[in-house]
Amino acid sequence: MGMKKSNEPAAEPTEGQMTRRRLLTWLSSVGIFGSAVISVVANAIFIKPRATYGKPSRFSIGKAGEIPPGTRMALDDQRVCIIRDDNKVYAISTTCTHLGCIVGPSETGFACPCHGSRFDQDGNVTGGPAPKPLPWFKVSQAPNGELEIDKGSEVTAGTYFNV
Amino acid sequence: MAKKIRLGALTEIPAGIWNSIFRNSLPSSDLGRAQTSFTNFFLHIHPVKVHRHTIKPWYTMGLGLITFFLFVILVITGVLVMFYYVPSTTQAYDRMLDLRSSVAFGTFLRNMHRWAAHGMVAFVFLHMCRVFFTGSYKKPREFNWVIGIVLFLLTLFSSFTGYLLPWDQLAFWAITVGASIAGYAPFIGEQVRFLLLGDSTVGQEALLRFYVLHVAVLPIVVTLLVSIHFWRIRKDGGLSRPEDVTPVDVTPVDVTPVTTTQPGSTTKRHYGIQGLVRGPFTTVGNVPDNSVFSWPNLFMAELFVLVLTIAGVCVLSLFFNAPLEEPVNITHPPNPAKAPWYFLGLQELVSYSAFWGGVGIPTMQVLLLLLAPYIDRNPKGVGRWFAGERLLANTLFLIFVIVNLVLIVIGTFFRGPNWEFVSPW
Repeated sequence: MGMKKSNEPAAEPTEGQMTRRRLLTWLSSVGIFGSAVISVVANAIFIKPRATYGKPSRFSIGKAGEIPPGTRMALDDQRVCIIRDDNKVYAISTTCTHLGCIVGPSETGFACPCHGSRFDQDGNVTGGPAPKPLPWFKVSQAPNGELEIDKGSEVTAGTYFNV
Repeated sequence: MAKKIRLGALTEIPAGIWNSIFRNSLPSSDLGRAQTSFTNFFLHIHPVKVHRHTIKPWYTMGLGLITFFLFVILVITGVLVMFYYVPSTTQAYDRMLDLRSSVAFGTFLRNMHRWAAHGMVAFVFLHMCRVFFTGSYKKPREFNWVIGIVLFLLTLFSSFTGYLLPWDQLAFWAITVGASIAGYAPFIGEQVRFLLLGDSTVGQEALLRFYVLHVAVLPIVVTLLVSIHFWRIRKDGGLSRPEDVTPVDVTPVDVTPVTTTQPGSTTKRHYGIQGLVRGPFTTVGNVPDNSVFSWPNLFMAELFVLVLTIAGVCVLSLFFNAPLEEPVNITHPPNPAKAPWYFLGLQELVSYSAFWGGVGIPTMQVLLLLLAPYIDRNPKGVGRWFAGERLLANTLFLIFVIVNLVLIVIGTFFRGPNWEFVSPW
């Protein structure tokens, strides 16, 4: 190829023959398409935070003795309601399962101010558009004796922590 | 004598500068009118001549144009407000108060931004209605309709992301409700919600993300799509119009080609650029000329719409202040917590079923809108309002419009505490 005189027209490349232009086109296409795919994936990974700056999902509610039986205390900033019946302690989420408003304690359980969902004492839906019951969160005792709620782990309704 | 000539040359400098910027003076001939359009960067958005039908005011009512002008107002006022805004949960609300109390024209600018935003949502919708009822989405304009629908959704999303930024009660709970609706999408809903908020609840991360989307990502995408939207109007042969505008209802115009005779040269013949482009404009010669020069006919009409738009936004901003409620209190949702008005139809549906109201029905509506030009293949009735040949399509679309409006009105005026039915009277 290098020996060809410059004023001679280059022969038409035959079908399937790899010319320099075809190689470059092929490499560029694969390169640009590959980069596009990789950057989409990389951006998706990048945009998903690995650590969040919000409140930690575990928090302490003090020693069991500080919560007298019959307590029904809604912690709005944690969006959890702590309930103690005799020696059974449990925690129910107060984030409405409908659209995320905070449900407030009512005479029959919980009621949502946003779209009128109603729940019973155990968080089961009794009316309104809420699609599922309020979740229960895990209650455990830390080594220092304080009770801890972990909003990161849901437990089935009716799972109590006995003190 | 030589000195005098030099001085004379000096006085010509300003005119020289002017003429170097604006390549031709205000036109007095057809050639000048043509040149005005294509020698100016901004004015060459339009062809030299447009069809007579294009400038009929009651055909388009300038709805798309008003939407575009509102977008321009939003960009300008938005950039100005950015100089005083901090996307931080501890500072944003205070900055809103500062804007009101200690920034010159602060209230006015925020009002303009807010009302122009509401206006853009309304007018992009009205523009969509106009395009549908005149059958303007038909071949070859199908894809421009699709771009338009995407722009409609982006407008809603821009408005939604902006809604959070004042960080007041209205903002916080509207976004809490809105983001939860996104969470109902099957399979990806929770992921999308988490990516959007950057956290499990609306907080600092959400504020920052919404800010970046609102001031950088969405405006850039909208600008790009608007450019394509405009470009395609020309490539698709200008505004839609009836095929058979009979020469009868057109006043006769001079159909001789645009010519100019320069001393000492033979007659030069100029054809408009559109004469060289494939499409409905190709006919050159002695046919009834239904076109008018863009300058001044179209440009002055557009200028009038611009002035009207600016005046409307200014008057609204003088008399009505953008709402600013209490600062965010994450433990006390207002009762009822309402989304922005254009989402209240959705919220009304959502109060019956979260999945169908928030995801199922809206997705179907958007899909039907996107596919409308490909489903409706009846080629008749283009370019006329409520054409008889399009009775079925227009009726269906009218039902879509009325149902959504009624839902919005119910959600806005007839829903009180606990989302229970109340009478507004």
